[in-house]
Amino acid sequence: MSTTLAVPVTIFFASIFTNNILLANYLGMCSFLSVSREIKTSVGLGIAVTFVMATTSLLNWLVYHYILIPLNLDYLRFIVFIMVIAAFVQIVEMIIERVSEGLYASLGIFLPLITVNCAILGVSLFMVIRDYDLLSSFLFGFGSGLGWFLAIMAMAGIRQKLKRAQIPRGLEGAGITLIITGMMALAFMGFAGILNIT
Amino acid sequence: MAANTKVKKVFSEALGSSNPVFAQILGICSTLAVTNKLENTFVMTLGVLFTTSLSSFTLSLIRKWISPRIRMMVETLVIATFVILVDISLRAYMPEIWRQLGPYVGLIITNCIIMGRAEAFALNNPPALSLIDGFASGLGYTYVLLIIAFFRELLGSGTIWGITVFGGWWNNWAIMIMPPGAFFMLAIFIWIVKGLWLEKEGSR
Amino acid sequence: MSVMKDRIYPVVFMAVITAICIALVSGVFLSTQELVIRNETLYLKRAVLYAAGIKVPENGPEAARVFDERVREVKTQAEQKSAVPETLYYEIVSLGGSIDGYVIETYGPGLWGEIGAVIGFHPDLRTMMGIDFIKQNETPGLGARITESWFKEQFRGKTGPFVMVEEGRSSKPNEVDAITGATRTSAFVLKIINGGSLEVEGLIERGGPHGS
Repeated sequence: MSTTLAVPVTIFFASIFTNNILLANYLGMCSFLSVSREIKTSVGLGIAVTFVMATTSLLNWLVYHYILIPLNLDYLRFIVFIMVIAAFVQIVEMIIERVSEGLYASLGIFLPLITVNCAILGVSLFMVIRDYDLLSSFLFGFGSGLGWFLAIMAMAGIRQKLKRAQIPRGLEGAGITLIITGMMALAFMGFAGILNIT
Repeated sequence: MAANTKVKKVFSEALGSSNPVFAQILGICSTLAVTNKLENTFVMTLGVLFTTSLSSFTLSLIRKWISPRIRMMVETLVIATFVILVDISLRAYMPEIWRQLGPYVGLIITNCIIMGRAEAFALNNPPALSLIDGFASGLGYTYVLLIIAFFRELLGSGTIWGITVFGGWWNNWAIMIMPPGAFFMLAIFIWIVKGLWLEKEGSR
Repeated sequence: MSVMKDRIYPVVFMAVITAICIALVSGVFLSTQELVIRNETLYLKRAVLYAAGIKVPENGPEAARVFDERVREVKTQAEQKSAVPETLYYEIVSLGGSIDGYVIETYGPGLWGEIGAVIGFHPDLRTMMGIDFIKQNETPGLGARITESWFKEQFRGKTGPFVMVEEGRSSKPNEVDAITGATRTSAFVLKIINGGSLEVEGLIERGGPHGS
């Protein structure tokens, strides 16, 4: 039946728009607030997050379903997931460092930031709680990464314009960013009607 | 005494000038996610309080043996262990709340406050002081969250701690329990606090 | 030599720490496991009582007692192959001994994952006694409002198959209020409920003649 493919695809688009990991689940705020000042760095971090999120959701799904569940160790999943993520990030950092100097300079610096990005761990935890299958999990991770990327890009663009605006002093920095994020969340809620699975 | 002033300094910084939430903007994820109900928020903050205190203490205890290369891994591991302990105890003793908090308990692991305190304080200070520092940071996080949750629950559901305060005449601001409300509420909070500071500085 | 030490020491250290952490976590987990399982069963029992329209006592053991008094679990029959008999449905018995209704546990897709519900039907298998949700991951503030009592209570005494109308507008016995802003979650729930009414018939047939 077509539903076998329809569900993962819907999850993919929903995780970008209607249930954006940042705007609807509040995950990944720390680096979002600190990095969104510049478009260029935002793009770098966005790509890195998308890549790590898609890959770790896949890895963690395999680890969870083929190692933790059969061994009845699913209560250890927090430790195992975060370790998989930390180890993966470390390996990627090492590979990038050896393979391409340019890529390392533009992307590598963001990698340590990623381990502590709660959105990455969040994706792995959500996929377990929601009982996703392998394909759904991967698309969920990938979509969430893209959604995060989209949000941070939009924010960086807006903040660039804001530099010339007069903002009440108390709201400068984090305050105004949060208000704009709130408005973006409202706008993204408007996407709610576009997805239909029946 | 020197130790005493140090403790005082730790507390006044964590609760005021370098409060993890509104001054350093750390741990925002959970600040926003769990604050739509006061009760959930309270339990969540207890979890964070427990984890920051004990992980700071533990990491400080073993700080001399941690080689710098695996520092991050060890920190994450220790923090994750305490978080699982919180998760398991919630599940056993407070199943209702455990159900509502869902994955956000696990996300205490990536709460930047805990990692931040471990990096900035616990690795360079003795265990007892680290314990106090972790506890103070947790407290700074706790009171900010409780204030935000208070207003979100009051305006969004017309209740405080699940008890109806506003009667039928009150039209719930559904937006307050949804994501945008969380962002606005935190922004307003930061605005007020920063505004007060700026005024103080100006009058000096 | 010192290079070797530099390389091996962190690995050994890490292994030791990991072992300690895992031992600690496992110990606590195993010691609370029984309590966790008890909580889970109690949670289900409460949901069944709620769906049957029976007042659920606050206190845990009390709720379990009421459950034992009013609810009879009907399991798959012994001659069937499955080693552990599964629960098919729950029979609600009145204090006089007659059957008041049936409660089933059923699952269906939701927007963000499975929605699990226990649904109670009167003996006509069409009129609902009530519903409770035991599992859902819907959007907080929108779809997750299915667990709010106004939404669950509106089903009591209504007869399906149901249709959705705008929040606050339902008037006919087969109309239910949808949740504003969570049209799809509402649709999924409706599908589960309408399906449940057919499911319960099949289950009772499978349960076979017993005790009536």
